[in-house]
Amino acid sequence: MKLLLALLGLPPGEYNDWEIHWALSEAGWLFPAMGVFFLLALWFFWTSLARVTSPLKKGFLFSLRILAFALLIFVLLQPSLEMKQKSAAKNAVAVLLDDSLSMSIKTLPAGKRRFDLVREALDQNPEYFARLKENYRVEFYLVSDQLRPAQSGGMTGAFKPLGVDTDFGGVLKKIQERYPEDSLRGMILFSDGADLTQLPNSLSPDLEELVTGFQAPIHTFQAGNNEGFKDLGIERAELADFGFVFQPASVTVTLVASSMGEKNVPLVLKEGNKILASKIVEIRPGQTRYQVEMAFTPEAVGKRIYRLSVPLFAGESIESNNAREFQLQVVRDRLRILHLNGRPSWDTRFLREVLINNPKVDLLSFFILRTLSDDVAATTGELSLIPFPSNLLFTDYLYSFDLIIFHNFKYAPFIDKKYLLNIKRYVENGGAFLMVGGDLSFQNGGYRNTPIEDILPVRFKSTPDGIYQGKFQLLPPDRYANHPLFRLEKDSDASRRAWRSLPVLNGLNGGLIPKKRAQVLAAHSASGKPLPVLAAMKSGKGRTFAVATDSLWNWNFRSVGQGGSGRYYQKFWSNLLAWLTDDPATRLIQIETDKEQYSSGEKVLIQFKVLKEDYNPDPDRPVKLSIRSISKKQDLLSEDLKTDAEGEGSFEFHPAEDGFYSVKIEAERDEEILSSQAEFRRFSQTLEFERPLINAYLLKKLAEKTGGLYQVLKTGEDWKEPTFPRRERFADARSKTIGLSDNWWAYGLIVGFLFVDWWLRRRAGLS
Amino acid sequence: MTKRTNFYLTLGLIVVQWAASGAVWAMGEYSRLAIPQIKYQGGDYKPRPQAVESLLIQTAKRTSVEVKREFLELSLASKDLYRYPFLYLAGAAAFDPFSSEELKILRRYLSYGGFLLIDDASAEVHSEFDRSVREMISQLFPHNPLQKIPKDHSIFRSFYLIDEVTGRARVNPFLEGVSLKGRTALVYSANDLGGAWARDKLGHWKYDLIGGGQRQRKLAIRLGINIAMYALTLDYKKDMVHLPIILERLRRYHSQ
Repeated sequence: MKLLLALLGLPPGEYNDWEIHWALSEAGWLFPAMGVFFLLALWFFWTSLARVTSPLKKGFLFSLRILAFALLIFVLLQPSLEMKQKSAAKNAVAVLLDDSLSMSIKTLPAGKRRFDLVREALDQNPEYFARLKENYRVEFYLVSDQLRPAQSGGMTGAFKPLGVDTDFGGVLKKIQERYPEDSLRGMILFSDGADLTQLPNSLSPDLEELVTGFQAPIHTFQAGNNEGFKDLGIERAELADFGFVFQPASVTVTLVASSMGEKNVPLVLKEGNKILASKIVEIRPGQTRYQVEMAFTPEAVGKRIYRLSVPLFAGESIESNNAREFQLQVVRDRLRILHLNGRPSWDTRFLREVLINNPKVDLLSFFILRTLSDDVAATTGELSLIPFPSNLLFTDYLYSFDLIIFHNFKYAPFIDKKYLLNIKRYVENGGAFLMVGGDLSFQNGGYRNTPIEDILPVRFKSTPDGIYQGKFQLLPPDRYANHPLFRLEKDSDASRRAWRSLPVLNGLNGGLIPKKRAQVLAAHSASGKPLPVLAAMKSGKGRTFAVATDSLWNWNFRSVGQGGSGRYYQKFWSNLLAWLTDDPATRLIQIETDKEQYSSGEKVLIQFKVLKEDYNPDPDRPVKLSIRSISKKQDLLSEDLKTDAEGEGSFEFHPAEDGFYSVKIEAERDEEILSSQAEFRRFSQTLEFERPLINAYLLKKLAEKTGGLYQVLKTGEDWKEPTFPRRERFADARSKTIGLSDNWWAYGLIVGFLFVDWWLRRRAGLS
Repeated sequence: MTKRTNFYLTLGLIVVQWAASGAVWAMGEYSRLAIPQIKYQGGDYKPRPQAVESLLIQTAKRTSVEVKREFLELSLASKDLYRYPFLYLAGAAAFDPFSSEELKILRRYLSYGGFLLIDDASAEVHSEFDRSVREMISQLFPHNPLQKIPKDHSIFRSFYLIDEVTGRARVNPFLEGVSLKGRTALVYSANDLGGAWARDKLGHWKYDLIGGGQRQRKLAIRLGINIAMYALTLDYKKDMVHLPIILERLRRYHSQ
């Protein structure tokens, strides 16, 4: 080595190792090819010297050629010499500190949290780590389902149990990537073993294969124990994604109880402050899980937030799982429609067919099949007719309907006049009422000066003058082109074409005068007088509508006769039902969030839209946006905003805490407050508290399978110091590479050998 | 005020009232029940010319249904076909097969809400008209053949409670029909219903009944009214709310 250093002019002792590298060493085929080529060259050189008689001269010339050829190959392979200074490097020991949320659980009887026990162990054994550092690089990591390097001594600061999940398999794979070859000599794991990916009392084959592959011990320290672990918690609440208003819904609640003794605990389901259901759960020793079915009835549509709770008992390790909130999207069951038909006709028949075939509709229809003047020529027993149950319908069941339709229906003598007032109140309290025309409708049905006239969008002249018996085409006025009633197609141009394609109508109820608050959505001019055909109005909290003709069925059957279908007729009725029943899509003010649930740190994007009464955008409309924490029952903010040119706007919100929130948008117009509301939730994962018990089995197995030690951390007790195999690992500290072919002497020697060969041959008279 | 003045005033009020209500009653003319008779080639397409009018008169007299009494006849190619969702096809002899275009029109008409009552006026078992009808229906709905209409069908309880199928004759004690998506769109009677309904201009029954008395005619008229009522109300009578009462009535009716 000294000679080599001297030859290369390098200071003695600077390098203690060397290595030759070949530029084309990766081309494996090259060296056999070179060998063959070299042998051929030998044969060629030897035969070309056949005329040289002197063996000495022949041998000398052959040697020269061999040397020159060998040097040429040497140069072509571009060798380089790497001089190295090698030194012994320290191997690593990884110290893994479980910082998942379950480490925050208290251990009884001292009431210390699991991570406090780890912190104590680290603080009480600084000498051990100091000694370990003499021989190993000791590297600390915080582990949960993530792997984060930590400062070696800074445990007190960074070590907070915040990880939302524990996955040793995932973490150890990351460790494997960090320590290639065999530089990791072992690990020390401080944990409660509550790895949610592992089943109780089992070590998965994948994890076993992974840990044994390290060929290094994993020493496990159990933080905490299950002795005296006392907890009563709501582990899970399972229910359908949505429920129906006024229809029973059920939630399956899983309770977990540890060391709770024998007691009966109440499980309570609330919405706001109202108790919807409660059940007594009999907690018994030896049983940890309890499934409880709770039935409740949602009383309003929308996203409803419910809270389940059990009492918090003294000494419980986890407090946060004694209550759990969940959300249910409550929708209308089906639209319950009462359809009263004054007489069977094609108009009533086709509407009934549309309603009964609509899966969203629960239809109860009554036809007046005979009047008092009809002579049925049969006894009552031979008829299928039943008395009209008006008392039942307009008192007991009235508020169970979403919509009441009087279809060419004259109320007398079938409904007592006093029930008309009930209908008016029903509408003013949020119900919907529709009157469809015909010879028994409006003033012909005797509704003049009745509560029905009060709620309808039209009032009646005393005589039904202005009767129009001709044909007319109904087209939506431009002003109402965006009205949801007229959306027969998604695209407004296609909708317009659809309206033009519909057959004409015939027959129109006259003597109807639109009220001031009404919207005449379609009218027909007859004899210079515009006659309302479709008119809408809000009446109290409800909505009413008047269809002043009994020929809408033309849009169905006659449309088929014109080569079309009944699709637009069905769509029209679907639109009308949506408007009448205040479907959210028909509201003049709308608000929504981009998601329903947000994890911590995510921003909530709130978008809102305000429309005018004619459903055109309401630009520059001042609106008030307010956000409230439902969970905390606290108003959080209120912002004054304005809609843009499209009548829309947006707002971003960063919820600071977990829980349910509601966002409300309000706009004032014509002394009316329009408002809409949406709900969202910010949540943190609570998986860690679903199986919070110490998994000693897993920690033992990890140690056992890798030749490590398993110990339980105990306050004030010394631990058995973990040891690791001491095998030195050499690392290159410094190196220098010297090219062996790109210098003057390599080329000089080749040229020199060839020149001497040439000169000797010339002297000998050879060619 | 004298009695005469009173009389004229009352008369005047009645006229005003009539004029007003008359104007209203004219609206929605096409919503009323009209039953055009189908014209076809070969055979006699109106073997009982007064049958439909008689049925409509009875329907108007006995029920709240408003009718259009005038006699109407249409070919399937008529542009007015879709004004009338109820068609009547009658005959007593074989008729020419419907063209493929006519079959297409009729199939579309029935599939999209139309109703067809076919009435064999021959009063014969396996008549030529019956053969023509069955041939036509097999081409009309090849995958949906004629089937007996069960006794619990709404047709038998849409207005009257009926447990006996008859007509001018008693060829078949049942009705047959074709149902499309739960709606019976075609009803076939082999019992000459029209013959039992038809009256002459003086109001006398035009055809004698075969093998039955006035009860048979009464039942045939009731069946006709029920068929019309079914076309107008569909399965209304099957609504759950009505079932208990109707079933109770049926029980009592049968036990009589």
